[in-house]
Amino acid sequence: MRSDPTEKAANSVRRRVAALAVAGVAAVVLTGASDGQFDVSSQIGPNPKLPEPHQYLLPPMHLAPVVGWKKGETPSVPAGLKISALATGLQHPRTVYVLPNGDVLIVQSKGPNVEPIERPKDLIMGWVESFVTSSGGSGGSQGKSNRITLVREGADGQPAQQSLFLDNLNSPFGVALVGNDLYVADTDAIMHYTYHTGDTKITGPGTVLTPLPGGPIDHHWTKSLVASPDGSKLYVGVGSNSNITENGIEAEKNRAAIWEVDRQTGAHRIFASGLRNPNGLSIQPQTKALWAVVNERDELGPDLVPDYLTSVKDGAFYGWPYSYYGQHVDPRVMPQRPDLVAKAIPPDYALSSHVAPLGLAFSTGTSLPQKYQGGAFVGEHGSWDRDRFNGYKVVYVPFTNGQPSGKAEDVVTGFLDGKGNARGRPVGVAIDKSGALLIADDVGNTVWRVTSDGGQSAPSQ
Amino acid sequence: MSYYDNPRSTASLVGHPIHPMLVPFPIVCFIGALATDIAYWQTADMMWTNFSAWLLTVGIGFGVLAAIVGLIDFIGSRRVRDLGAAWMHAGGNVVVLVLAIFNDFVHSRDAWTSVVPTGLILSAVTVLVLLFTGWMGWAMVYRHRVGVSNNAL
Repeated sequence: MRSDPTEKAANSVRRRVAALAVAGVAAVVLTGASDGQFDVSSQIGPNPKLPEPHQYLLPPMHLAPVVGWKKGETPSVPAGLKISALATGLQHPRTVYVLPNGDVLIVQSKGPNVEPIERPKDLIMGWVESFVTSSGGSGGSQGKSNRITLVREGADGQPAQQSLFLDNLNSPFGVALVGNDLYVADTDAIMHYTYHTGDTKITGPGTVLTPLPGGPIDHHWTKSLVASPDGSKLYVGVGSNSNITENGIEAEKNRAAIWEVDRQTGAHRIFASGLRNPNGLSIQPQTKALWAVVNERDELGPDLVPDYLTSVKDGAFYGWPYSYYGQHVDPRVMPQRPDLVAKAIPPDYALSSHVAPLGLAFSTGTSLPQKYQGGAFVGEHGSWDRDRFNGYKVVYVPFTNGQPSGKAEDVVTGFLDGKGNARGRPVGVAIDKSGALLIADDVGNTVWRVTSDGGQSAPSQ
Repeated sequence: MSYYDNPRSTASLVGHPIHPMLVPFPIVCFIGALATDIAYWQTADMMWTNFSAWLLTVGIGFGVLAAIVGLIDFIGSRRVRDLGAAWMHAGGNVVVLVLAIFNDFVHSRDAWTSVVPTGLILSAVTVLVLLFTGWMGWAMVYRHRVGVSNNAL
């Protein structure tokens, strides 16, 4: 990728000129390629090590082409756990949501794909992205997406029943149920539907509770959703419209933020801002605080900036785009805003760089082994802009008194096949009624269910 | 009437050399990229750096075509190769293309550092070298009559 088409011409002209040119290419390319042996684990926890930012001619990239799951293959779990598929043959499942009666909603979604080509890079990045987001060969992946499937686990080992719950959505992601009010966060609006316990299909038409920033660019399009503990408000994550303002600061109005939406009126306010791409919005069960996982900015190096897990404080500003991890100024933003940088606070817990956390679930059940109780599971979709893969797994972060209290440890791995391909990629996570961990695997077109080994009875495959 | 035996252009269409048909594109594109870089530097309006990136990309594309055709002329004629101006023109334009390719990668960065300072400097240096190579190219045609027809009208 770094070969230079002009080298050929240079050789045929005059050796000296050619040598000079080649030396120049080498010098600049080499200064950019200094990955080294950075200890990724030094960026897991409350005080991540932050190397100096680097800017590149060509940022380091390593993509995992999708191969999908072969029959019988599953992700790996440590001893004491077992994993099986709850549902297969899905179309890009991204969110799992557990209804009070134990039924599981699987939100299948594809991006709106409305981002205009503004520069040559957009053409190339579009092509690059098609590699790693295209659905794998394993399961019915070319079918219709942007719909929600309901899965009801069969009684006594019977196979789970699937039914089409809600169709023709606009790049949906978040789901929240309050009483009989079911909210689905499409990319451009929070939709309201009426749901009754036991329903397997929504028949009534939806209404718009609150429009959300969608097109025309809609760079980060996933709108994560959670209800406040008292049910009066909804919190919705609205990701930024760019990596780092390259679509203009005016495109970022009301974005890179978590909105608080009044459930009665639909009115909204910015609850917290400076959060580049917040997902996995969840209420911590002990403290009732709002938490999220956030995807930080790209192209400052393989080990910048760490993605993170954080409690989200009312009115807080977390830096994007002007600074990262507190008050580390990003030189790519102009005009700079020292006044805002001065307000920026660091998040609670780094997950390391470019792991792309998209799912968060607090472990509320009691059926998993003791060591996986009381903390948080994080679905890490996996890296693309670093030399060595990072993420592509579900990790567990232990919590004590409502705060992270130790190193994240791997729980579900094996999404990469060891040969640089992705069999699946984890996105949303949830705890089901039995206390098992559910994982939406978008390119693997599967929802996985992790249970205690020997404890709970898992549904058959 | 006296006739000159002018150095010939190998890559030509019906006696019209192709190289001069292509070179206006990189020249205009690279000068334009300097102008739009200056505009971005002064305004921080992303439209201008996007302009620069397109200009550089198109300029490089046509520049490579012009280089191939120019190389054919260069290799195809001993008399062209005997000209000092031809060596300086060709060598200088390789430098121009290499600079522009670096510059295009720099312009593929996001936001401010796609231009300031490295992109802007590279755009300016590219245009300076281009002035020199352009001068040498004009010398080849207007002084040494490379590609000029031997037949007076």
